[in-house]
Amino acid sequence: MKLLIIEDEEGLRESIEEYFKGEGNICETAATYADAVSKVELYRYDCILLDITLPGGSGISILKKLKDHHYTDGVLIISAKNSLDDRLDGLNLGADDYLVKPFHLSELKARVSAIIRRKMYNGSNLLVFNEITIDLQAKTVSVLDKPLKFTRKEFALLIYFIANKGKVVSKNAIAEHLWGDGIDLADNFDFIYSHIKNIRKKLIEAGANDYIHAAYGMGYKFADQ
Amino acid sequence: MLITGIIYYQAISWILIDQNDKALMVEENEIFDYVKLNNKLPQEFDSKDQQITFTEAAPNSVTREFINTDYHKEKNEYESGRGLITSVTVNGKYYKILIVESKVETEDLIQIIFGITIGVILLLLLVLLIANRLILNRLWQPFHAILKEMKVFNLAENKEISQTTTRIDEFAELNQAATTLTSNARHDYKDLKTFTENASHELLTPIAVINSKLDTLIQTEDFSEQQSKLLTDLYSAVARLSRLNQSLLLLVKIENRLLTDQQTINLEELVQELLAQLEDIFSDKHISIKTNLQNKQISGNQYLMEILLNNLIINAVRHNHINGEIIIELTNDGLSVKNTGDTKVLQDDKIFTRFHKSDKSEGSGLGLTISKQICENMGWQLNYQYISPYHTFIIVF
Repeated sequence: MKLLIIEDEEGLRESIEEYFKGEGNICETAATYADAVSKVELYRYDCILLDITLPGGSGISILKKLKDHHYTDGVLIISAKNSLDDRLDGLNLGADDYLVKPFHLSELKARVSAIIRRKMYNGSNLLVFNEITIDLQAKTVSVLDKPLKFTRKEFALLIYFIANKGKVVSKNAIAEHLWGDGIDLADNFDFIYSHIKNIRKKLIEAGANDYIHAAYGMGYKFADQ
Repeated sequence: MLITGIIYYQAISWILIDQNDKALMVEENEIFDYVKLNNKLPQEFDSKDQQITFTEAAPNSVTREFINTDYHKEKNEYESGRGLITSVTVNGKYYKILIVESKVETEDLIQIIFGITIGVILLLLLVLLIANRLILNRLWQPFHAILKEMKVFNLAENKEISQTTTRIDEFAELNQAATTLTSNARHDYKDLKTFTENASHELLTPIAVINSKLDTLIQTEDFSEQQSKLLTDLYSAVARLSRLNQSLLLLVKIENRLLTDQQTINLEELVQELLAQLEDIFSDKHISIKTNLQNKQISGNQYLMEILLNNLIINAVRHNHINGEIIIELTNDGLSVKNTGDTKVLQDDKIFTRFHKSDKSEGSGLGLTISKQICENMGWQLNYQYISPYHTFIIVF
């Protein structure tokens, strides 16, 4: 997929670029409003990561430009402005999603994947990873055409892992994804472990490979190896 | 008033008695003239209001004097009267003369004059009193208006003290001072809030960078156990920092009433949703949940309601012990969250203040402050009480 990262903070921009690179993804970056506008007017992207506060202008007006031209690029707003008005403004103007800083890169990746999946919607809405098939519409998981029983959270977690395949996902990121960032129980991640254990057990029993690996006690990695 | 009345009464009495005495003296002179002219006593006579009697007396035994006496009106009927005792010598005989005049009319006159005067004075007083009240009220009106405004003045509300129009310099000055004082206070308060907001805001970007760098760092392979332990600690610290920052921003927003969009919210459904969401956290601590929920609709901000309920429920989990219990009750009048936990009673006045938290707490110390502020914005009350073995937080709608 082809991405454009519009973000003025160099550290953040580089991290995002680095995280999304590979697997045939093409990442372009823009640090200023002018740079962003010229890129958006010349090229089309699968998804644009858009910061609202940019040197030289507002991300909102870039979003307006895109919609005025009826470009269908997916847009995910990443902003430090955690105000509901901004969120609603952005979404009303046609942004696909809104993520508030600070965020985990794995969360960003999951959101971007979801946007691109929706853009490429081809009627079936199936997410296939080797022998695992996930129907996003019906919210079912099957391995080798055998349907499995997944709880809501296990389902969400599996999709999250597949979106971040090959990456180490921290426990913090998983907790925030499943319980929201309002959850404030950083001292205890046992309940994550039990979810992971369940998913692994169900997949392996159905005949799938063991894709989920613990990574040095700080997170998990979903990888095809 | 009383003294004035007495003096006044005495003065009138004195003047009128003096008049009486003069009339008696005129009568006396008439008798003397008559005696000189005719060399005999005049006839004794009773008129309507004067009686004159002559009695023989030893020579020079009578001293001339005025007396208060009784006036014999008819048989056995006396009125108060004023008399003059004097003497005359006719043909070598010495006579005592008693002239008595009725004082009834004089007294009537005194009473009438006195009555009218007192009446007028009382009326005057009454008018004065009413006029005074009205005028004073009108006069102090600007003062009371300013006082009222100052009493209801609230720093957080964006309502200025209105200019009271007055022609009285002192009040105009007072109003001026009050306006300046409040606008200064408000200005400082606003500055402080803006500072909090800006500071929290500026912190967001560095936190975001640290977070993303950590996410990138753990992608590099091969960590020793010690390194991964350090990274885990870093993650927790950044997560706490980020939550703290978010809480501060949220608090400023709630205090500034920036989250204003209202929806109809079914509280019963919302509580059920949150409980389902947190299910695995309860089971992790083996906490049993009991609910008694009535259907209750409110109009409010969905985002804030979620935060409020989430805070209360998460608190009930965090400060609970293994195999503990949480009871959530929703009625038409309120919502209560009870939890078992430490048997120590919390300090009612401190728990809602910023950054107050128990030693063991992993939270930001802002959760209850935020909850309280949300309740205040909704016009609700948030109260705490401990009825063994439950710590109870009650929202009164």
